Amino acid sequence: MSSRLPEVLRFRGAALRPFLILAVFAIAFALLPQYASGEVGTANITDVFTSFAGIGLVSLALGLTMIIGEYDLSVSSTYLLGGMLAVKTGGSAPALGAAIAVAAGLLVGFVQGWVIAKLRMSSIPVTLGGFISLLGLVYVLSNSKSINYKDIKFTLKLNEPIATVFTERSLIAIGIFLVIAAVFAFTWLGRDVRAIGSDRKAARASGVRVDRIVIGTFMASASISAFSGALLAYSLAYATPNRTVAPLVFATTAALLGGVSLSGGRGNPLGIGCGVLCLALLNEALAVTGSAAYVTYLVTGGLLLVVVIVDAPHLLRWWRTTKAAENLRLGFSGSAAAPAGAGGER
Amino acid sequence: MSTDVATAPTGPGPLRTPTRNSRETAIQGVFYGAIALFAALIVFGAIDTHGFLTMTNVRAILSSVAFVGMVAVGTALIMISGNLFSLAVGSTAAAAAMVFLALLPHGIVLAFVVTLLMGVVVGAIQGFLVGGIGANTIIVTIGAAGLIQGVALWASKGATILPPKGDTSFTWLNGHIFTFAVPIYILFGTVVVLDQYLRRSRFGRQLKLVGENIEAARAAGIRTAWVVIGAFCIAGFLFAFAGLELGAFNESGSLLIEGTQTYDAIAAAVVGGIAITGGRGSVWQALGGAILIAMISDILLLRGYSEGIQILVKGVVVFAVVVLARLNRMRAES
Repeated sequence: MSSRLPEVLRFRGAALRPFLILAVFAIAFALLPQYASGEVGTANITDVFTSFAGIGLVSLALGLTMIIGEYDLSVSSTYLLGGMLAVKTGGSAPALGAAIAVAAGLLVGFVQGWVIAKLRMSSIPVTLGGFISLLGLVYVLSNSKSINYKDIKFTLKLNEPIATVFTERSLIAIGIFLVIAAVFAFTWLGRDVRAIGSDRKAARASGVRVDRIVIGTFMASASISAFSGALLAYSLAYATPNRTVAPLVFATTAALLGGVSLSGGRGNPLGIGCGVLCLALLNEALAVTGSAAYVTYLVTGGLLLVVVIVDAPHLLRWWRTTKAAENLRLGFSGSAAAPAGAGGER
Repeated sequence: MSTDVATAPTGPGPLRTPTRNSRETAIQGVFYGAIALFAALIVFGAIDTHGFLTMTNVRAILSSVAFVGMVAVGTALIMISGNLFSLAVGSTAAAAAMVFLALLPHGIVLAFVVTLLMGVVVGAIQGFLVGGIGANTIIVTIGAAGLIQGVALWASKGATILPPKGDTSFTWLNGHIFTFAVPIYILFGTVVVLDQYLRRSRFGRQLKLVGENIEAARAAGIRTAWVVIGAFCIAGFLFAFAGLELGAFNESGSLLIEGTQTYDAIAAAVVGGIAITGGRGSVWQALGGAILIAMISDILLLRGYSEGIQILVKGVVVFAVVVLARLNRMRAES
């Protein structure tokens, strides 16, 4: 019977882990004033949700591609592109700008997804090409300069507090998270997406429309990150071209903390949301304690390395033995090699 | 091409269906057509661009090849080992430039040794995470880039590092021998030595096998972890060397020095024809790719295109090359 229950109702250990990690981060954050200088209040909770709105959706976008066992490097560029398009075209009608950003995302996602699905290519080289090209496009569109957004009223409206701790922008981001989480939990899509991530051949054999879902996931990923960029640009009242991979670092760490695995097949939107909240709390803690910029680099880079080491497929093997070659036979042909080994499924 | 399709059924054996054959022919046509188009564009660009075919410009191209080539060769090793590419190229190079310039007061020999050692150690750690415990290269190198930037910011307190006033011990790195810049000779020397080493040594053969089929390599008793660590060590050394040269060239070091090094390195390796899936390629190909990428950058620059267009073109080239390589491979497999 239990297998008939929607995914969201079947709480197992692995599904609970992101919530536990989030609880640890939240308790640590609440205890912060006792161990370091700085105050913690509702304003900090507002900040946490604001940074959730800023980058949370990119984590969701990247996380979705990681669940199907791929990795969309281009999200950090579509994020910038979405912001740039929105600021340039949404001057009089913000909805139009956001729609253009989303449309561009859908197109980018379709092209990349189609190539990945139909040519059976690994997503990393394909999205690397997309990542670099779109970055160039952002520089071309902006003429390598920051572009200001004219409609200040709309910017203020997005940042107006709602129910003390929320703002319109954070509620929009949370809303999108909840919608996608619901789609995952209550429709066949969530199950199929995970099936593709764990074993693509088996999924294909059992009638899952693999190609369509792969293309759809990349379209979702690119359009969500483009929308997220538009939302950020509207709320900051500017968009700026930026070469850093910081969004990628944040999004990957959040997804891995949120129970997604690089080998695919595991994770869900709610878990990714927890991962994002963990990092938002961490950033807020760094801000509260007045840490220098380099501390943020060190902490986020270090945390990413820690989670990727924990996620690494051969960690235990390395501890146990490095001896006989026969013992070292492992599931490298499967999911573990897919993100690193390229070539995708054969 | 239509004639090819029409005659196809009579050509190969009877087992092959006409549809499959025409598709193969079409893929082949696209593949060679794209290569021809690409070559034509570069040749046309070179001839049509004012000031391209001058000695000054050739020297300028070679100067940028000296830096891009170094990081491209490092990237090539990682790619051949079957681990895609590093996204920490630029950060490692920038940090190396800063370390080198900061240590110059203690003597150039020490500065050289410590800078290159830093590159090797940073590479070894990433190599262990990738080859030893199977962590994803992209994530490891992104995380490493973040950490390197953090440490560089912390150690430099955000300031740009300048060489000591009046210090000329490093200026020979910017000198010229027979009209070409010194780093060019260093690059060619590196490529020749590394190519011979990879051809003749056991490590070179193991590197290709690990990249081609890691399971087979493991079954053959090769310590795959050490091979991958080795590839990352040499790559780290080369990234640091390029950074050191860049620091000497600019006579200043900061994180900004990274520029588009990372993307140029990957683009050069891919355009040079090194298989992104691993196992195939040589350092000469990386050098060829670096020359092509430098030529493309130079043509765009001379024609007055913005930085954005330059990045865009490199991105499109990477995309096109990986897709065409895949199509070609599919044709070969079918």
